[in-house]
Amino acid sequence: MKSGLWPPLLLGAGIIAAWEIYVRAAGIDPLLLPPPSAVARYLAENAQIMVSNGAATLTELLVGFFCGAIIGLSLGILMQAWRWFREAAYPWLVATQMVPIPAVAPILVLWFGFTIVPKAATVALMCFFPVAVNTVDGLSAVNPELIRLLRTFGAGPWRVTSMAALPSALPRIFSGLRVAMALSVVGAVVGEWVGSTHGLGYLMLHFENRGETAGLFATVAVLTVMGIILFFLVGWAENWALSWKRYAKETL
Amino acid sequence: MTIEPAVMPAAMPAAMKVRGVSKTYRDGSRTVKALEGADVDIPDGNFVSIVGPSACGKSTLLNLFCGLDKPDSGSIEAPVLGNGDLLGRIGYMPQQDTLMPWRNVTDNVTVGLECLGCGREDARRRAREHMDRFGLSGFELSYPGQLSGGMRQRVAMLRTFLCGRRINLLDEPFGKLDAITRASMQSWLLDYWQDNRCTIVFVTHDIDEALFLSDVVHLMCPRPGRITLSLEVDIPRPRKYEDVVTSAHFNGLKATLLQSLGRDG
Repeated sequence: MKSGLWPPLLLGAGIIAAWEIYVRAAGIDPLLLPPPSAVARYLAENAQIMVSNGAATLTELLVGFFCGAIIGLSLGILMQAWRWFREAAYPWLVATQMVPIPAVAPILVLWFGFTIVPKAATVALMCFFPVAVNTVDGLSAVNPELIRLLRTFGAGPWRVTSMAALPSALPRIFSGLRVAMALSVVGAVVGEWVGSTHGLGYLMLHFENRGETAGLFATVAVLTVMGIILFFLVGWAENWALSWKRYAKETL
Repeated sequence: MTIEPAVMPAAMPAAMKVRGVSKTYRDGSRTVKALEGADVDIPDGNFVSIVGPSACGKSTLLNLFCGLDKPDSGSIEAPVLGNGDLLGRIGYMPQQDTLMPWRNVTDNVTVGLECLGCGREDARRRAREHMDRFGLSGFELSYPGQLSGGMRQRVAMLRTFLCGRRINLLDEPFGKLDAITRASMQSWLLDYWQDNRCTIVFVTHDIDEALFLSDVVHLMCPRPGRITLSLEVDIPRPRKYEDVVTSAHFNGLKATLLQSLGRDG
């Protein structure tokens, strides 16, 4: 973000202003499309509810994201280490992504009840795949000459992986993590829709049933801001972990 | 003095002994005979060069020397190291510098030691002792992407030499450097080798470089790769680059090598 926060903020402010003017000028029913001012008022008046439900969703999301990331990373390493495992597992991993999440989520609720587990599991189910795929691709892109060199130093497969393959795969792994973070917001909400008593996804259903459109919009706004912040946190972690890239003229 | 074929008299103990080594590999649908019946002796403590045109099997031979590949037939032994697998016991500096862009200079240099089980801090301390000698002082915390080609080669070389191996294989270490940097690196390498006597097997396609550096030059010819001439370089040491490469004796040796290349190549 070289040019700073101003361009996106200005664009957002412009869209919100246009929205406000349109709703007022055209006399739109606020139940169909509430003006941003009404959404903001709702947010201010119900901050407590938003924070407590937002915290619930955030917890599910982070637990699911980290579990998914660890599972994806481990699967990626194993698939890279054992060719037979990659060949056997790859189609099944793809299959997990073909099953519609809204179809799986109710089964998870059936198994684990109205706890955090089905939501975190839904998130993890969506998260692990981009991480696993990018880990495999990243690990196989390591310079073979570097591996040969390490072997002449007496390095075994584990040291080759930890010393050469994983660090050189890290940019790809972070690409996977960013995609996973974006998916995890959707995962958490879908998990809550199927069965929950709190959380932003639950809140959305609640407002929808009661026809409180302003509340629905306010919840979506909170969720969006949360997702954007999380996404950029991953990017920030990436910049920190890959600070050497600033100096890398060529890739290895 | 030239001796044909490549087997030297057994005056000095051999660091490495290569007998009748053949290696064939598949390149897509065709099979390439990279080496056939190669015989070489590498005397202990010598600086030995292997010279030949591109794709004559030099790198194949080095890969066999350091145990990364196994020959189809024939034997490769390192009597000074005793019996056993060569892999992990012979120093090797590959053609690419293969520095890790995510590690700074110090931590790139310590890679070999770390693989050998040396602790990170201990390895760093030992690396720092050699930074000056390798012209890397002040660059300890730089990343490879910030270094010139010559410096990158010195980092890679220190990484190999820091392991303190008795036999070190260098695969065209100066191949990508400009002529001036190259000449100064050659002199620097000779100085270093004179102070830290180890056996060096130096692969190059540059005849001048091989003659200037070596005790013995082995000439390789392609298809199939084999050693066609072994030339003892009786130029006294220490050698000064500008004196050696302009001397009549140097040019006489060079003519011998070029004639052999023209005959067999």
